[in-house]
Amino acid sequence: MNQAVRIAAEEWRYWSRSKLAAAVAVVMLALALASAVATWRDITKERNARVELQGAAESIFANQPDRHPHRMVHYGHYVFRTPPPLALIDPGVDQFTGTTVFLEGHRQNSATFSPAYSGPHGGTFANLSPATVYQVLIPLMIIVAGFASVAREQEARTKLLLLTVPVSWRQIWLGKTLALASFAAVALLPLLLALLMAQGDSGAELAMLGGYGVYLMTWVCLVVSVSDRSRTSSWSLMILLGIWLVVCVAVPRLASTTASAVAPLPSKIETDLAMAEAMRSLGDSHNAADPAFERLLANLLIKHGVERVEDLPVNIRGVVAEASEAEQTEVMDRFASEYAQQELEQSRVLRGSSVLSPMLAIQAFSTAMAGTDLAHRHKFLRQAEQSRFEFVQDLNRLHKTELKYADDIRRSSHADAERRTRVSASNWSRLNAFELEVDPFNERWSRAMPFFFLMLVFLLAAAALGLLSKRDNEIE
Amino acid sequence: MTSSPVLEAQSLTVQRGGRQVLSDVSFAVRPGEVFALLGGNGAGKSTTLLTFLGLITPHQGRALAFGESVHNNVAKVRSRAAYLPEMASLYPHLNAWENVSYFLQLAGHPQARDQVAAAFDQVSLPEEARNRRLESYSKGMRQKVAITLALLRGVPLLLLDEPTSGLDPVAIDEFNQLISGLAANGTTIVMVTHDVYGACQVAGRVGLLRRGELVGLFEAPAQSRIDAEELHRAFARSHAS
Repeated sequence: MNQAVRIAAEEWRYWSRSKLAAAVAVVMLALALASAVATWRDITKERNARVELQGAAESIFANQPDRHPHRMVHYGHYVFRTPPPLALIDPGVDQFTGTTVFLEGHRQNSATFSPAYSGPHGGTFANLSPATVYQVLIPLMIIVAGFASVAREQEARTKLLLLTVPVSWRQIWLGKTLALASFAAVALLPLLLALLMAQGDSGAELAMLGGYGVYLMTWVCLVVSVSDRSRTSSWSLMILLGIWLVVCVAVPRLASTTASAVAPLPSKIETDLAMAEAMRSLGDSHNAADPAFERLLANLLIKHGVERVEDLPVNIRGVVAEASEAEQTEVMDRFASEYAQQELEQSRVLRGSSVLSPMLAIQAFSTAMAGTDLAHRHKFLRQAEQSRFEFVQDLNRLHKTELKYADDIRRSSHADAERRTRVSASNWSRLNAFELEVDPFNERWSRAMPFFFLMLVFLLAAAALGLLSKRDNEIE
Repeated sequence: MTSSPVLEAQSLTVQRGGRQVLSDVSFAVRPGEVFALLGGNGAGKSTTLLTFLGLITPHQGRALAFGESVHNNVAKVRSRAAYLPEMASLYPHLNAWENVSYFLQLAGHPQARDQVAAAFDQVSLPEEARNRRLESYSKGMRQKVAITLALLRGVPLLLLDEPTSGLDPVAIDEFNQLISGLAANGTTIVMVTHDVYGACQVAGRVGLLRRGELVGLFEAPAQSRIDAEELHRAFARSHAS
C-alpha cells in the first residue's frame, strides 16, 4: 500500500507541474462551482417567488368580494410547487415540466398533458445544473486528467523500471487509481458545498454525496483500467472518449428515442380533442336543461317528492354543476391516468437502459433523492388535481345550497336577483392552502436504492477490468 | 570449490509476437563476475535480461536467479537485482534528486541526500545539473542518473542494457572503472552491448548472441582481458553468416 500511496503522491506532483492537468482542475472546479452557485441563485429565487406567489394567490382569492360561487369556479386559483431543497443539485424533470398550475372548474391543469418526460435531460446544457456537470462533464475531466496515467509510463518505459524496482502492476494500478480518486474527491468539494447550501435532510444529502462518489469512482477505475490496458496514451484517450460518448450521449439518446417509440405520448392538441369528444356526451354543466341531466333531474324530483325544479330545496344548477364536475373529473382523471401510465412506461424504458449506462443510473438515483423525479411530478399533479376538485366542489355545494334557483335563473336580468346570488366573501377563506411535501427519505431511498446498487456493480466491473487483467511477468 | 551461479539460463527459448527470439540459450554467471552479452540488433540480448527479470515468460527452458526459478520468485528476484534499461526511462518532469529518490523509496531503500550526492559524484553528474529537470538533460546525463539509481539500490546483481549508450568516452572509461570496482566488491553484473571493445574492457566473459542463439562464449585469460580483435572477428563472422 505504501508503494501505491507513493505513486499517487508522484502523480499529484506530475499534475502540479503539468499545465494540462492544472487547466483541467481549474475548469472542473470552476464549472462545478458556477453550476452550484447559479442553480442555488435560481432555485432560491424561484422558491422565494413561489412562496410569495402562493401566498399572494391565496390572499387574492380570499379577498375577492361577495360573488356568485360559479364565477369563483372560473376565477380559478394558482398552486405553485416550491422546489425541494435538493433541487439545487438536481432540478430533474421540474426544469422541463414547470411547477405552476392553474386550478379551474371543468378542466384539468394543462401541465398534466404536457410532454414532460419524453427523455433524459442530460443532453441539454441550457440549464447547467450541478447534476449535469457531475453526470456528464466531470467524467470528461477525469478522462482528460487520467487517460495517460498508466499508458504514459508504458510509452516512456518508466513502467518497465517501476516493475523491476519492484512495484507490481497491481500497485501501479492502485497508486494511479488513488491519485485520480483524490482528484475526483476534489471535484466533489463544490457538490459538498452545494449540499450544505441546499439545507436538505442530512440523510438524503449523504446519500447524494455517496451516489455521486460511487459514480465518479466508477469513471476513475475505468479510466485507469483502460489506460493500463492501452499501448499508447492516444489509444487510451480514443477508447475513453468513445466510452464517454456511448455512456453519456448515445445510450441516453437511444433510450429516450426507444422510450418515445415504445410509449408515445399524445400531443396536447390530440389530448384536448379526444377529451372534448369524451366530454361532449356528459352535457353542458352550465345548462341544467341539457338532456344529459334528465335522469339526474328526474331522480332528484322523485327524491324530494316535487314536480318542479323550482320546488326543490336545493338549487338544481348547483346540483348539476356538482354532478357534472364529478363526471367530468372522472373523464379527465382517466385521460390523466393514461397519460401518466405512458410517462411511467417511458420512465421504465429509460431506467431499464441504466444497465447500459451508469449515467442513466446516477440520473435516476439523483432525481429520486432530490425529489425531482417523475414520481414527485405525478404526486404534485395528483395533489394539484385533488386540490382543484375539492375547491370547485366546495363552491358548487355553496351554489347548490346557498343560492335560490329562482334568483339564479334571473340574475342576468334582475339586479336584486343578481345581488342575492352573491355569497359572502367569508366563504373564500375555506380554500385549503396548497403545500406539497417531498417524500420522506425512506421512500426516496427505496426508489433510488436499485440504481445505487447498479452503480456499485458498474464500479466493481470497472475495477475488475483493471485488477483482473495481467500478470507480473508480462510486458507489452 | 566453485560457487553456485547467480544467474543461469537453461535451454532458454523465448517467442515474442510469433517469432522465436531466443533459441535454446544456456549459460551461467558466477558471483562477482562481469558477464557481457554481445550481439547485433535483434540478437535477443535485451530479451535475455527481461527474461531474467521475469518480465518475459520463456517458451521453453528455465531462467534461474540465485538458484531459484525466476518465474516462481519474481518479486524476490527483482528486489535483489537492479535493472538499467536501454533508454534511460526516467521522469522528465523531475530533477535528478527527485527521480532517484522516488525510485529508491518505491524500492524500500531510501538513501540520505549525501549518499545520493556521493553516487552522483561517482558517475560524474555535474552538480549544477542535479536540480534541473531531466527534460533538459542529454541522453548521456540521463544515463548517468539511471546508473546512479542502479548503484544506490545496493543489490548483489546488476542487469545493464547498453549502459554506456550515450556516454562520452571519458564517461565510458569512468563507468567501466566503476563496474570493475563493483565486481571486485562482489556485485554480479550482466550487461548487454553491441560495443565489442567496451565489453572486452570490463567483462570477464562475453557471450556472443546471433539471431537468438548463443554462438560463442569468450573468457578472459587470468589477469588479462579478452582479445578484442579476436572477439571482433567472431562478431563480424557471426554477422556475415
